[in-house]
Amino acid sequence: MNMKKHWWKLLSILLLLYTLVMGFLGPIPGLNILEQSIRNLYFHVPMWFSMMFLMLMSMIYSIRYLHRQKVEDDVKAHSYAIVGFVFGLLGIITGSIWARVTWGAWWVFQEVKLNGAAAALLVYAAYFILRGSFEDEEKRARYGAVYSIFAFVMYMVLINVIPRITNSSLHPGNGGNPGFNSYDLDSDLRMVFYPAVIGWVLLSVWMTTLLVRIKQVFRKKHQLDLE
Amino acid sequence: MVQHIYQLVRKEVQLEWRQKTALGTIFIYVLGTTFLVYLIFQGNITIPTWIALFWIIALFTTVNAASKSFIKDANEQFYYLRSMASPVEIILSKIIYNALLITVLALVIYGVMVLFFNENIADKKLFLLTIVLGSIGFSNLFTLLSAITARTQNFALLAILGFPIILPLLLLIVKMSGLSDFAIQEKDIYLHLGAIALLDVITLLLAVVLFPFIWQD
Repeated sequence: MNMKKHWWKLLSILLLLYTLVMGFLGPIPGLNILEQSIRNLYFHVPMWFSMMFLMLMSMIYSIRYLHRQKVEDDVKAHSYAIVGFVFGLLGIITGSIWARVTWGAWWVFQEVKLNGAAAALLVYAAYFILRGSFEDEEKRARYGAVYSIFAFVMYMVLINVIPRITNSSLHPGNGGNPGFNSYDLDSDLRMVFYPAVIGWVLLSVWMTTLLVRIKQVFRKKHQLDLE
Repeated sequence: MVQHIYQLVRKEVQLEWRQKTALGTIFIYVLGTTFLVYLIFQGNITIPTWIALFWIIALFTTVNAASKSFIKDANEQFYYLRSMASPVEIILSKIIYNALLITVLALVIYGVMVLFFNENIADKKLFLLTIVLGSIGFSNLFTLLSAITARTQNFALLAILGFPIILPLLLLIVKMSGLSDFAIQEKDIYLHLGAIALLDVITLLLAVVLFPFIWQD
């Protein structure tokens, strides 16, 4: 194996192993209500970081597609969106479980971030439907890219701007809730949290590269079949 | 360029005026929906419900009105229009026309809602401003999306694409409508109006930048 090219995959495995071990066994601040559930910080939050990163990559490849009109860029934009969607689903599920434990319900209306996340998943579900509506490969790629760019900008507004304006979030650090920064034992959490974020993001990119390769193999096979 | 856009908007208005059935359809749609809602709610609702219903009806009317804005142009008249005007002129004229249409429709909904429910927003000027800003945002978004969906046979697609994307704007508009009925701090009003105006500008820029890629064969 060429270590110069693949070192980040190894790093991802090591960081995630560290996250699993330290995440379940490491020291935590004993906080009211949160208690042991604070360990979910290492799993729930990185899902959103990964999703945001993958959707950003999807938008960058969409812009590149509109710029150069190469099919590879479209395959990458689509793959990043698919894996990003999966991570978004995982984020919702882990968040919902956490909400049940701490806020007492699977779904809380007052929580703008939760509703924003659900809307973001709908946006990307619509993106997949849109792609499915075109028979022509070139049109599918072009129209999909346009929607994907539009979608990403509105997704950013929804996740990052609206919660700050409406100011009605139950998440730590919002609407008068103390943020994790204010907990005095935060250095313990950070020691695991930052590696966890990097590990999960790397894993998500790795998954995407695999999906891209699978798609490319199928495209090649399809072309050979035609010949 | 301004001259071209003016001509294109005029063309839209004339075409719409000539086909009175299409215009009639959308107006009857508005009246019918509002009346239906009035009967379902048995005539008495609170202001928050009033605002929610107003924007739901406005949203569905917008989807209906915007869905046909590119059907003709993207298919029958595509090459003719392409040789006559640049993509930026076309999208701007469509957005201006749709914004006018949506504003008028929203005002009709407003009139009918006030007539039926006897409820009214406290600060009417502020609510009218919200309607105008909201209509511009609706127009920016749904005009571009209708250009995307015009060439597919999937008629539900516009709603699927539009509803989750319109959400940031819609949340702000509904909040703003509530503020125009009852605001504790004036600061809140400016913050929300500013945010809505900013979203209008962002969506307009995106529509203008992205439309040339759709306006191809």
